[in-house]
Amino acid sequence: MRARALRAEWTKFRTVPSNLVTLAAAVVLMVGPGTLTAYRAGEGHQGAGVFDAANISLYGGFLFAQIVVGSLGVMVASSEYATGMIRTSLTAVPRRARLLAAKVTMFGAVALAAGQVASFASFLLGQVVIAAAGAPAATLGQPGVLRAVAGMGVVWALVGLVGVALGCLLRETMIATTVLVAINFIIPIIGPRLLPEAAGAAVTTYWPIAAGLRITTTVADPARLGPWAGLGLLAAFTALLLAAAFALFRTRDA
Amino acid sequence: MTAIELKALTKRYGDRTAVDGLTCVIEPGRVTGFLGPNGAGKSTTMRMILGLDRPDGGGAYVGGRRYTDLPDPMREVGALLDARAVHGTRTARDHLLWLAHAAGLPESRADEVLRQVGLESVARRRVRTFSLGMSQRLGIAAALLGDPAVLLFDEPVNGLDPEGVKWIRELMRGLAGEGRAVLVSSHLMSEMALTADHLLIIGRGRLIADVAMADFVRRSSGVLVRADDPEPLVKRLTGEGAEVRTVADGGLVVGGMEAGEIGRAALAAGVALTELTPQRTSLEEAYMELTRDSLEFKAVAV
Ligand SMILES: Nc1ncnc2c1ncn2[C@@H]1O[C@H](COP(=O)(O)OP(=O)(O)OP(=O)(O)O)[C@@H](O)[C@H]1O
Ligand SMILES: [Mg+2]
Repeated sequence: MRARALRAEWTKFRTVPSNLVTLAAAVVLMVGPGTLTAYRAGEGHQGAGVFDAANISLYGGFLFAQIVVGSLGVMVASSEYATGMIRTSLTAVPRRARLLAAKVTMFGAVALAAGQVASFASFLLGQVVIAAAGAPAATLGQPGVLRAVAGMGVVWALVGLVGVALGCLLRETMIATTVLVAINFIIPIIGPRLLPEAAGAAVTTYWPIAAGLRITTTVADPARLGPWAGLGLLAAFTALLLAAAFALFRTRDA
Repeated sequence: MTAIELKALTKRYGDRTAVDGLTCVIEPGRVTGFLGPNGAGKSTTMRMILGLDRPDGGGAYVGGRRYTDLPDPMREVGALLDARAVHGTRTARDHLLWLAHAAGLPESRADEVLRQVGLESVARRRVRTFSLGMSQRLGIAAALLGDPAVLLFDEPVNGLDPEGVKWIRELMRGLAGEGRAVLVSSHLMSEMALTADHLLIIGRGRLIADVAMADFVRRSSGVLVRADDPEPLVKRLTGEGAEVRTVADGGLVVGGMEAGEIGRAALAAGVALTELTPQRTSLEEAYMELTRDSLEFKAVAV
């Protein structure tokens, strides 16, 4: 029975053509700007200080891609409310937890798969251009590099699921997307520049997405969380949002 | 044979009671027309039957179980609530495909119901290019997908051309003829007169009438009779089982008896008739009479 609901969600996802196009766009946005950033960083490399070649090849593109992945997650949930299809979905799968679990599993798997493709492509291309710019490139065999690259794919999935949770909680695509961009972009990136120093440092260290991205670093930073602690924090935050979405979805009228 | 049972079903939105202690049974093997003015609570009742809205009191049961407890809901109940509630960029066939997957039905069912509703030629067109009538047909196809014993249609003839209206009427009659329970909401008594075997009439969330169509028709028709000396005639007619009402100007309205029978009764009673006119208060009027007090939105004469 659960397998049926999951299969139905996948059919729903793949039969809206723009979903697959958007997913492909996210991969392109990760690899394209990511490679460009990596090249510039390679050029700027002076030989001194830390140069985390793996992280550099992943981070630049992710800033763009995550907005797309998160918004797609939002749409997976909110478009059902926009079209009114949620009622058809719930007559087909009346158990609410089962329906939402199927959605979460389907999109989590889709975002994870696309994320791994994007992450490995971004890494491999990034290392080529870093080497071409004359900077020390990383290889997957070096300590922590495989963890960083595969971890990036996991962060994709988590960002996508934050989107699904927000879409389900807020139902309105515009509102949920705005909140998503605030959580994953505005607060962690612009926040530290505007906030008092202590608060800014706390955001940089503990804000879920900022913490989660520690998994993509291969050079330790004593001021920040470790890779696994950081990813754990992002995962816990995602789980909390999903738990709220399940609780609300189970009780409210459709 | 599966029936729908409503037991003191109640729904409140804030301080307004949309459905108010509704108790009735929607029997299999017949088309039950669900009538009521705008805002009477028809759609809300259907949403509660489907477990979409949570009742504030009482319950709705399909074959003795709540919808949300049905192990295989789409094979037991099919519903058309809002034909436009589909994702416009999906094709008609893909829309039925995900439903088939959710219900564990073979994909061939999607093609079968598309054929049944006459949409096979547009099966691979995006739903947003559909007219309202085509959307209604797709909604009906979705309802029929699981070959369910119970069918709910919320205003299915909305937007259909006369051909489509006739098609739906025959479809519903056929479904009921196969022993299914068919509940269909409408505003139009005239349409229900042709389709329904039974009527549920609600106003402001309350049950106003739960009556067989035939009884409703009988009740709302009569024969206007005038006679020089009505007394013995009234006695005679009521003695034969007719219902007799006296109207304002001294005439009689006789229910439950044909004009010919009344004429013969008058002859037997030795009363001369001065008028004998079969009257058919339209069913629409009879229905409006019933729901007049529960109209929520009335046009104000200016
Ligand atoms: N989600 C909701 N929130 C608040 N009030 C609602 C909601 N849904 C329905 N209502 C109210 O409940 C009452 C019954 O509405 P419902 O849609 O069930 O009527 P209806 O009989 O289907 O009317 P119509 O013939 O116009 O379709 C109305 O007063 C409506 O305003
Ligand atoms: Mg309605």
